[in-house]
Amino acid sequence: MPDTAVAERAVLPPQAPAPPASRPRRASRAPLAAALAAFAVLFLVPCLGVLYTSLKTDAEIAANGLWAPSGDLTLDNYLQALTAGGTGRYLLNSLLVTIPATAISVALGTLAGYAIAVLRPRAGEFIGFCLLAGLFVPPQILLIPLFAGFNAAGLYDTLFPMIIVHSGYGISLCTLVMRNFFRGLPMELRAAGLVDGAGEPRILASIVLPMSRPALAALATLQFTFIWNDFLYPLVFTRSDTMRTVMVGILQQQGQYSIAYGVQAAMAVLASLPTVAIFIAFQKHFIAGLTAGAVKG
Amino acid sequence: MTIRRTWWAWGFLALPILTYGITVVWPALYSFYHGFTDWKAVGGGDWTGTANFARMAQDPSFARALRNTLIWTVAGVVVPTVAGLALALGLNRITRFAKVIKSFFFLPLALSLVVVGQVWFWIYRPEDGLLNIVLGALGLDSWRHAWLSDPATALWAVMAAWGWQQVALAMVIFLAGLTTVPRELTEAAQVDGAGAWQRLRAVVLPALRPSFVVVISLNMINALKSFDIVYVMTGGGPFRQTETLAVLAYRVAFKTYDFGYGSAVSAVLFVVSAVIIGLFFAWNSWKDRHA
Repeated sequence: MPDTAVAERAVLPPQAPAPPASRPRRASRAPLAAALAAFAVLFLVPCLGVLYTSLKTDAEIAANGLWAPSGDLTLDNYLQALTAGGTGRYLLNSLLVTIPATAISVALGTLAGYAIAVLRPRAGEFIGFCLLAGLFVPPQILLIPLFAGFNAAGLYDTLFPMIIVHSGYGISLCTLVMRNFFRGLPMELRAAGLVDGAGEPRILASIVLPMSRPALAALATLQFTFIWNDFLYPLVFTRSDTMRTVMVGILQQQGQYSIAYGVQAAMAVLASLPTVAIFIAFQKHFIAGLTAGAVKG
Repeated sequence: MTIRRTWWAWGFLALPILTYGITVVWPALYSFYHGFTDWKAVGGGDWTGTANFARMAQDPSFARALRNTLIWTVAGVVVPTVAGLALALGLNRITRFAKVIKSFFFLPLALSLVVVGQVWFWIYRPEDGLLNIVLGALGLDSWRHAWLSDPATALWAVMAAWGWQQVALAMVIFLAGLTTVPRELTEAAQVDGAGAWQRLRAVVLPALRPSFVVVISLNMINALKSFDIVYVMTGGGPFRQTETLAVLAYRVAFKTYDFGYGSAVSAVLFVVSAVIIGLFFAWNSWKDRHA
């Protein structure tokens, strides 16, 4: 086991005689780890800066500047962001968009991925190619027709456009991830189900989906993050303050709170909380989703 | 049996295809069509042939946006790829605290570009921004700069903020790729007396080829689409110096309501993306065959 070898080496006192081959490696690891750790902390300075600013008073920031240390910390900024700043409303809107859009895009991607990878109809590969091509379509080319369409349908300035567009635009990634996952799944159980006379929907629901939990979790984590963090669609498809999702909402409020940096920072922290919480809780799934989405089919 | 399976396959595919058709295929085709009209948001547009594209050829904003998009694509591929590879190679060598250190680098990936843009806007502030404070503390007062309002540095400053978030994506994929490098090979190379640099070049990098393809294509796509971070940090300014094609397409369509010209710009963005990515994949499969 290479890991125990490294651990053993690490607990040896530096004077202990070691085999010559491993001596240079052992010597080179601790400084590397220290350097990487230092760089990682430095890397997080922007995040820590926002968090710290969100706890400072405006008077303190005005007197000493945005990045100066402060002795006087407060949670008032959060209170103000949630009440007067309307961030509570934006957060709710984002949830109302993100949860259904995540569920729908993952469900549609599962259906398409299963059909293409397992049922393999004629022209299935071509359909798969067309669905995956959406990964390379810049969203800007979709905006004008969708804007006109939502306007005509009376859906402009509601939450529906974001739900609809994310459900559709997300199909590419979801199909890719689920297709790749289903390709690697042993299908003997499916055959057993067929022998028992179960139809395809039942096989998918009661045999295949329970085995797919890791992939579904990874994909849902990823889609939630993408949709929550989206800025372009709500910018174009909504206008009134009550319909803004959180990323557009907090950006608009910056005009209102142009010198209240503490409130701005509190809004940014609140807006990031759900995705950061998901990231911390499901880091394994999050990274599995990123790498699964990255595996080219 | 086969017939029933095919029947179900199309049953499963119907809803995804319909949704995708309405939200992606139809709008994309519609934009291409309207790139040849003078549609102005109200009423329909009249067919004007290639007038929008002729106008583009004369439009300095378009030339600048195209140039910025290409710069962004090259730098946005090279920098995160190299930095992500370096981080992955380093992290792959350490075992203590590796998990915690990795998650520090990952964290920005969970953030929205709106938040990233806001923080970096504060870092770049001329008077009390962190960057200028640090430069001052290091005795480099002459380097202090109004990073975002100087046209010479604005684009690079925005790209640096974007790269800060993007680098972890490359790192994750390279880390996953490094687990596939056969240990026997690196150890055999070491026994043969190959130095670290030789092992990297002869064993590790060739084994990481699939990861390179994924990292480069993902960064390419993200770079070509770059909109949010520019919009948040500079709004395309100063003097439209940081506008990318994505920002220009948005501005033309939704600030001036010139839907015809906006459609044409977004169609060009689509074609530029398709050509760059298509060339990369073609080059890649050519390399595969001649490896």
